[in-house]
Amino acid sequence: MKKLWAFFSVLLALAFAFPVTLTDDLGRQVTLKAPPKRIVSMLPSVTETVCALGACDRLVATDDYSDWPESVKKLPKAGGLYNPNPELIVSLKPDLVLVSRYGKLYETLERAGLTVFVVRTETYEDIFKTVRTVAQLLGLSAQGERLVAQIQREVYQEEARAAKAKGRPRVYYEIDPTPYTVGPESFIGVLIQKARGVNIVPKELGLFPKIAPEFVVEKNPEVIVATYPNARETIQSRPGWSRVRAVQTGRICVYTGGEDNLLSRPGPRVAQGLRLLVDCFHGR
Amino acid sequence: MTLSLPLALKRSLVFAWLLALLSIALVLGLALGAVAVPPGDVVRALLGLQENPIITELRLPRVLGGMLVGAALGVAGAAFQGLFRNPLADPYLMGAASGAAFGVTLLAVLLGGLSPAFAQHAVFQGLPLSATLFGFLGALFATLLTLVLAGGVARTGELVLAGVVVGSVLTGLTTYLMLQDADRVRAVFAYTLGNLAFLGWPGVRALAVFLLLALPPLLLLGRVLNALQLGEEVARSLGLPLNGLKLLLLAAASLLTAASVAQAGIIGFVGLVTPHALRRLLGEDYRLLLPASALGGAALLALADLLARTLTRPAELPVGVVTTLLGGPFFLYLLWRRRGRA
Repeated sequence: MKKLWAFFSVLLALAFAFPVTLTDDLGRQVTLKAPPKRIVSMLPSVTETVCALGACDRLVATDDYSDWPESVKKLPKAGGLYNPNPELIVSLKPDLVLVSRYGKLYETLERAGLTVFVVRTETYEDIFKTVRTVAQLLGLSAQGERLVAQIQREVYQEEARAAKAKGRPRVYYEIDPTPYTVGPESFIGVLIQKARGVNIVPKELGLFPKIAPEFVVEKNPEVIVATYPNARETIQSRPGWSRVRAVQTGRICVYTGGEDNLLSRPGPRVAQGLRLLVDCFHGR
Repeated sequence: MTLSLPLALKRSLVFAWLLALLSIALVLGLALGAVAVPPGDVVRALLGLQENPIITELRLPRVLGGMLVGAALGVAGAAFQGLFRNPLADPYLMGAASGAAFGVTLLAVLLGGLSPAFAQHAVFQGLPLSATLFGFLGALFATLLTLVLAGGVARTGELVLAGVVVGSVLTGLTTYLMLQDADRVRAVFAYTLGNLAFLGWPGVRALAVFLLLALPPLLLLGRVLNALQLGEEVARSLGLPLNGLKLLLLAAASLLTAASVAQAGIIGFVGLVTPHALRRLLGEDYRLLLPASALGGAALLALADLLARTLTRPAELPVGVVTTLLGGPFFLYLLWRRRGRA
């Protein structure tokens, strides 16, 4: 069965798929004459997607933040969103560059004659859209469908585990000590809901609001999740926060050093991020 | 017609207005916030008759701390303007605030290398003194560098230019330090944008101590600033030990800048606009301008923070955005009025 799939995908790729023309997330038509062999990914979640599709060996460079799987750490690093290194990218002669829709990097690279595809990976749904799009671009549509099914299966397992839990704790999620938090309609907000937590932030505040400390104390969350170093000490020592239930009971889950990427990157490892939240909200 | 009023009466009226404005800022600041608390409950919480940490632990120290930061910035702005005989001088334009932010960031990075948890603690909670000290050294260094580059206070254009250059370079260095250590210093970044959100009682105490240290000499030196407005020669001819006094003024203004930056980050326009607006009402007399700038700065920042935390509640706006949006148009209005008269 597996061989048959592989056979079909190769056949499809050769017979119908290329040249392939797809519309990217800036609404531009991008055509690839042949399956790309030298790819630069400027988004960590897209790097993960390319590798999860089994095409890690086609990557010739990534952005500074791509760090999974382990093998991409050795690749040349072409900067980040604010400090990209177009000269390095051009010098590597890639036949496909995958970039964020923020910034003007795509214009520079296109002027240099490169094929650039703009990807948006922000929401939970974007994960599956990105997998399918990247799979098509790489001539790996069948692998793409399989990866989508696999991610959905893994997510469902975690959702089922969360569904067995008795309670639904009130959750406050802090991405930065300013403090910035997440709205229910953000990617993390959706994960909180799937893990059966109740976000204390109303959706009217948008995706990543700067929240008033008073409001958090008033809502008295039972669990706090934070994704920056020393978050526990920072949160415990805030004026008035000793009254918050999560601080009193010590239910502050801090994810840093790579674990935070599981929660902040809408990519193929989403179920692992979801597992962290289910463990945090309901225990193992 | 205010113009026809006797000068003394007009000045008293200005101070009465400032005190009224400050009282309004205090009352509204305590009454309004992200969480609706009935006025009766606010009063009971303040009197200790009812436990309400939102009022006593969060809102009250934030309002008082905001006032102290505003007062420090207002006085520092007035002192810089008088010292440099330049109405455009303020803690930001002279590079002092950027210097203070650089000092605090440097402290966070140095300590962060030893122990990140300790750094966070040292900079933000337990030891506001160390942050203010580093900020003070940074502010003083930046201001002196500006003075050296400008070749003294005499040439206004050079002074402003040098201040902008020093401020920009130090801001660049601060940003560089942060990028080197993005994770560890993320908290510092959050605060350099100006943030009163977590000003608690330790911060209020630290601000009060530094204000008590720096305010009296400044208020006593209003006379020296007045003499300076007539030119260095005249001031010297009055028998004033000018160099020492100028250094004292500079140190006091830098300390106030550093104390406010260490507690609340960089908040623009308060130090520039407050003395400017009050000078129009009170004239060039620094004996009045300094205390008035303290009251005015306190009221301005408390009201700006009130807007920052209520306009989009329960979300917040960065308070620096509000002061800039309030201060910018007001400053343009002052310029326009001035041009209209000229």
